[in-house]
Amino acid sequence: MEGARRGKRNRLLEFLVERALFASALFSAVAVAFIILFLFRESLPIFLGPGLLDFVLGAAWNPVGSPPLFGALPLVAGTALVTLGAMVFAIPLGVATAVFVSELSPKGWKPLLKLCVEILAGVPSVVYGLFGLVVLTDWIRVSFAVPTGESWLAGSVLLGVMSLPTIISVSEDAISSVLREHKEASLSLGATKWQTIWRVVLPSARSGITAAVVLGMGRAIGETMAVMMVTGNAAVIPSPITNVFSPVRTITGTLGIEMGEVAFGSMHYSALFGLAVLLFVIVLVVNSAALFLLRHRQAGAFGAGRGMVSRAKSFLSGNMVLLAGLAVVALAGMSSRALAASLLVAFALLYLLLTRLRRQWTEKIAFGAMGASFLLVACALAVIIYYVFSNGLPAITPEFLSGFPGNSGRAGGILPAIIGTVYLVAGAIAIALPLGVGAAVYLAEYSRGGRIVSVVRAGIDNLNGVPSIVFGLFGFAFLVIFLKLGVSLLAGQLTLALMVLPTIIRTSEEAIKSVPNSFREGSLALGATKWQTVWRVVLPPSVPGILTGVILGMGRAAGETAPIMFTAAVFSQRALPSSELEPVMALPYHIYLLATSVPGAAGNAYGAALVLLVLVLGMYGFTALIRAGFSGRRNW
Amino acid sequence: MEEGGAVIGPENGAGADAEGDAVMRCRGFSLWYGKVQALKGVHFGVRKNKVTALIGPSGCGKSTLIRALNRMNDVIDCVRTEGEIEFLGRNVYGPGVDVTELRTKVGMIFQRPNPFPMSIYENVVYGLRVHGVNDRRVLDEAVERSLKQAALWDEVDCRLHEPALSLSGGQQQRLCVARALAGGPEVLLMDEPTSALDPIATAKIEDLVYHLKRDYTVVIVTHNMQQAARVSDFTGFLYLGELVEFGETEQVFKRPKEALTERYITGSFG
Ligand SMILES: Nc1ncnc2c1ncn2[C@@H]1O[C@H](COP(=O)(O)OP(=O)(O)OP(=O)(O)O)[C@@H](O)[C@H]1O
Ligand SMILES: [Mg+2]
Repeated sequence: MEGARRGKRNRLLEFLVERALFASALFSAVAVAFIILFLFRESLPIFLGPGLLDFVLGAAWNPVGSPPLFGALPLVAGTALVTLGAMVFAIPLGVATAVFVSELSPKGWKPLLKLCVEILAGVPSVVYGLFGLVVLTDWIRVSFAVPTGESWLAGSVLLGVMSLPTIISVSEDAISSVLREHKEASLSLGATKWQTIWRVVLPSARSGITAAVVLGMGRAIGETMAVMMVTGNAAVIPSPITNVFSPVRTITGTLGIEMGEVAFGSMHYSALFGLAVLLFVIVLVVNSAALFLLRHRQAGAFGAGRGMVSRAKSFLSGNMVLLAGLAVVALAGMSSRALAASLLVAFALLYLLLTRLRRQWTEKIAFGAMGASFLLVACALAVIIYYVFSNGLPAITPEFLSGFPGNSGRAGGILPAIIGTVYLVAGAIAIALPLGVGAAVYLAEYSRGGRIVSVVRAGIDNLNGVPSIVFGLFGFAFLVIFLKLGVSLLAGQLTLALMVLPTIIRTSEEAIKSVPNSFREGSLALGATKWQTVWRVVLPPSVPGILTGVILGMGRAAGETAPIMFTAAVFSQRALPSSELEPVMALPYHIYLLATSVPGAAGNAYGAALVLLVLVLGMYGFTALIRAGFSGRRNW
Repeated sequence: MEEGGAVIGPENGAGADAEGDAVMRCRGFSLWYGKVQALKGVHFGVRKNKVTALIGPSGCGKSTLIRALNRMNDVIDCVRTEGEIEFLGRNVYGPGVDVTELRTKVGMIFQRPNPFPMSIYENVVYGLRVHGVNDRRVLDEAVERSLKQAALWDEVDCRLHEPALSLSGGQQQRLCVARALAGGPEVLLMDEPTSALDPIATAKIEDLVYHLKRDYTVVIVTHNMQQAARVSDFTGFLYLGELVEFGETEQVFKRPKEALTERYITGSFG
């Protein structure tokens, strides 16, 4: 009797739990659908009015002119050029560094090198922007003797550095997962180590590396703050098209600049949402391509495909280096014959060097180049960290950390910004954690495949790819305006929660899946229900993994500016926020404003950047500790 | 087992002449993985145009020894060696040795077939290409010759440009043999080349080994005593990193000198 009642209660609980978990899994898919819907809804007037073609291909963007012009072409061109420029050096540098880290680094160094790459990934984009604005643009201005350094070139350099961690870590993954048997087979046939890397390892890792490049591109296309701070933001197409010193304006930059001052409901407002839709679609296509490549990388053997597509693919990637070289020469040719000629000669020499030289020499040169690539990346990291520390430390005083800002942030402290960031991050995590872990548990333990699950997965993948400025726009249109939350802590927390959700889901799912099946079977065989098994046996050992995801999400949320710029952040506050519906100050936004709008506040900008950097890198360091601590203790 | 217990060289059976035609010779060769010693003063010769089998229980160091012969152990971190391995009268661990040259001359077939995910053709010519041979005629010739030597030509001659991974396991292993032969090696090292194959594919490889010794010298590691007895001319028995006994196969199997060898061969352990 008692047993029967308990059985019934258990069944009810099981049912409810499963539904709840399913709902949290579904949330991501719904959220993505909702973002798309809302962006579309708001952009409808621009698509219906001037029309889609006039919008996308219109040659001038001048929303405040008369008549106002909403042609997105210069902005699309700006995004394309800046991304292209970034890729030109980030791809070779990133792949070479990945080869170095994976295959050539002295033994025992690999974790350290990977940590460097993670730190590079952890630096908030507004800190990159600050560095770019103060150091990089100045350097370009002086060394190329141009009137201003705020240019396409500056944007490309900065974006290239920012997409390096993605390119390096995804490529490194692909390279290290090349079967050892293939490497040994190659060596045993008398190939040198470099020949083995060039002919076996890189071709095997090809689709993974391509995916890395595409993901890096997606990162670059979606980046807002850093580009906005260094590209000069003139909505012009460079003339000639190869003039890297010309200012440009990207789609994201436009959104970042104009969203704050646009009249709600105007055509301009609608055009900005049209831009967001455009951005969303571009990034969606790019990321889907990357995901496709990653999923199909086992199937894709090199040089062994059948059919036109795979032949074309293998030709393209087989000659990627060649094509890229030709493209660079062609581009250079447009601006200067002499430059093109000298590049051509350089490439020809390099080719001869690599093919005609004794292979031992080729190997030495190649390894030297890989090592140099890594050094260059490490230097970039060191320089940025050094600048932030050396310029920021003088600003750090007890008053700076505990006071309120004065004189437009030139004086006083940043306490409200620190507290605001802490509130934002804490709220975002409090919302995203249950949803994310619930979704992860559902996906790992309950889902049995099928259409809904693939929709959910697609939703999570896409949510992960949404550029942060698009989250900002959505948060503004939906939370701030539509739900009438106003610019408030709550709106910012919700927006950030949406942004970090995919990170939490992914890392949690991975952690849950790595719990061995024998644990579950052991528990089930003792008569425990599914949820009891999950709760008592599966989740406890997954805690470190979940925690890692949470902290990574926190680091991301703390450093992002674009999502909170229009939803939660204000420049100055006399008191700490006392309710969820009040706006807050936030560190990244504060840095952004000090750097761009307040002359003479560079010292305090660096100080705030230092605080933010330490906060974010501290969190990343903490995850590294967790990983190290638990991987030592785990013994299955 | 004491130092003196290790039986020296093939001259046991064949006398002083045998010394002359040993292509490879280990001289007091020891190897450590970090602090763990995996080979202890191994001493024997590999005779030209003969098949030498290495047998012994799991973990006794057979793979370690055969990989030492073409320095494939270099890939593993923290390996340290002592003693000499001579190939054509030169210490392969000596200074100034070009490992890639050595590996071209001393080819290797692995336990699991490991063709590259390229076409059959590209697999076979890989070794030539890395040595800078790109002349189509030379490559075509090499492909036909080595596939014929590996007894695979008839099965693949009309599909040379299909992926190597579309072949069966046994065919893949013969492709690996062809790939190793294309570069013109003198010695072929085979580490349990049939352990991942079914009996029919195994028989084909054994047959192949038998024919290969006309032109090449073969060292083969095997777990299978019958296989050693069937294909080899000389047999070495390894135990816990020591070469306990080495001699002509017939002698080792029929009249082992060491009690340990006898116990292993009759199946009392291992
Ligand atoms: N990479 C390595 N690092 C450390 N120790 C190793 C390594 N490879 C092998 N060993 C050790 O060296 C010893 C000999 O190994 P080896 O692989 O040569 O044995 P084997 O005779 O080929 O065994 P099997 O018949 O199982 O293939 C074993 O004790 C093994 O644990
Ligand atoms: Mg072995």
